[in-house]
Amino acid sequence: MAATTVGRVLSLCRQFQKGLSISTVLPLQQTKVLTACKAQRSAFRPKFCLLHINNMGTSLAQQCRALHTSQWRRGLEAFFDDTPNWGEPTVKSGAPWTAKQLRTKSSEDLHKLWYVLLKEKNMLLTVEQEAKRQRVQMPSPERLTKIERSMKRLDTIVQERENALRLLQTGQERGRPGTWRKDFFGRTFWYRFKEYPIPWYLNRRYKRKRFFTPIFVDSFIRLRIESHLHSKILKKKADLENKRKLQEKFSRFSART
Amino acid sequence: MRLTALLAMAARVKVPPDYRYGTSRPWTVGAQRMNPPGKKRRKVFVEPIQPEEWSLFKGDTVEVLAGKDSGKQGKISQVIRARNWVILEGLNTHYRYIGRSGEYRGTYIASESPLLVREVALVDPSDRKPTQVEWRFTEEGERVRVSLRSGRILPKPVVQRRDGIVPEQWKDGPKDTSPDDALEKTYSASLKTFEEEITGATGVMETRAGRRTFWY
Repeated sequence: MAATTVGRVLSLCRQFQKGLSISTVLPLQQTKVLTACKAQRSAFRPKFCLLHINNMGTSLAQQCRALHTSQWRRGLEAFFDDTPNWGEPTVKSGAPWTAKQLRTKSSEDLHKLWYVLLKEKNMLLTVEQEAKRQRVQMPSPERLTKIERSMKRLDTIVQERENALRLLQTGQERGRPGTWRKDFFGRTFWYRFKEYPIPWYLNRRYKRKRFFTPIFVDSFIRLRIESHLHSKILKKKADLENKRKLQEKFSRFSART
Repeated sequence: MRLTALLAMAARVKVPPDYRYGTSRPWTVGAQRMNPPGKKRRKVFVEPIQPEEWSLFKGDTVEVLAGKDSGKQGKISQVIRARNWVILEGLNTHYRYIGRSGEYRGTYIASESPLLVREVALVDPSDRKPTQVEWRFTEEGERVRVSLRSGRILPKPVVQRRDGIVPEQWKDGPKDTSPDDALEKTYSASLKTFEEEITGATGVMETRAGRRTFWY
């Protein structure tokens, strides 16, 4: 079982290799897709001819082959793991970054670390997707959780610093403005402002929103309050009953200790 | 069917407040079969033991006080706090078949049953008898378990990490940051925002004034 999974992972990596290697002969399907795009472009802008010189006599695939260089494939190595790790059932990885360690780093360091973590995450997601496609176990999936936790902690620290600065300079607790409003059903909620290019009195969709409660909703509000109070009483009763039952069953233990 | 079951297991499981915890973890297929989303099972009353009072850890040697294997000592292999359960290695077992498929009846194995916390007692290492244990503070201020009969300290058992890593024998890989670099302090408090510091460092001068926007 282990041998077959290793074999499949190896073949998975060999397919990666094939994808990376620069081939002179492009598969026909790709040229078809690309020519479809290029034909559309030339339809919209007839003056600018993408396919240069002799269009007559040569097939579309042959013409595109002349245009295609390896530039659009360079840099995809970042999406793949280091070569020694290909085909391994487990890959060793260290501990994630803790919030305490990240708090000692400057903004530039955090900025750089974010992108390092992001690239590693993309690589691991590629591995995960390919493993799913091959119906094979992903090697060491805990790496993904470690990366996600590190990124979350980094974001938390940046938010902490921004919060502190904003509180100091402006006294505002929230970065995004908002206000308490009543919705159509009489419920009070925190409405968070959105950024618009036009003022509110010119925004037709915004004017259709109703942040007030009509009079005919009052009876329903009363019913809601009644049901909320009733559920509170029921919960209180249930808690008391639970406590009584626990006392009845386990009081002798607490008496003993 | 297996693929959909796997996909269902992927998301973090939300457990209702009256969930009845069993020996399988809530996200496993067996646990979901025992507790499907709509089913309400009879309530089990679990003795409320405060987290500070809890004194049994994985790897501890305990003696069974009640049940089939009473009087025997064993090591704790699993602790289930939600039900005040401990599962000991090889004790309090019943037998069942595992890995059944088609006509093959499966392997006959001994599977351990959980024991309640009150049915086991920690073993005092000095005389290897069961004792009651209390949490006390040492001279240095460390909180330790103390046997009430002999006064001996019961140290917390050292358990191997689940990923098998021994921190003392760890060697950094190519993608790991060295301890010096990780602990190096580069932060200096300033009144600039994160974005201002980054743009200042890269020397990017933003001269465009954005168009006027409205917040509402």
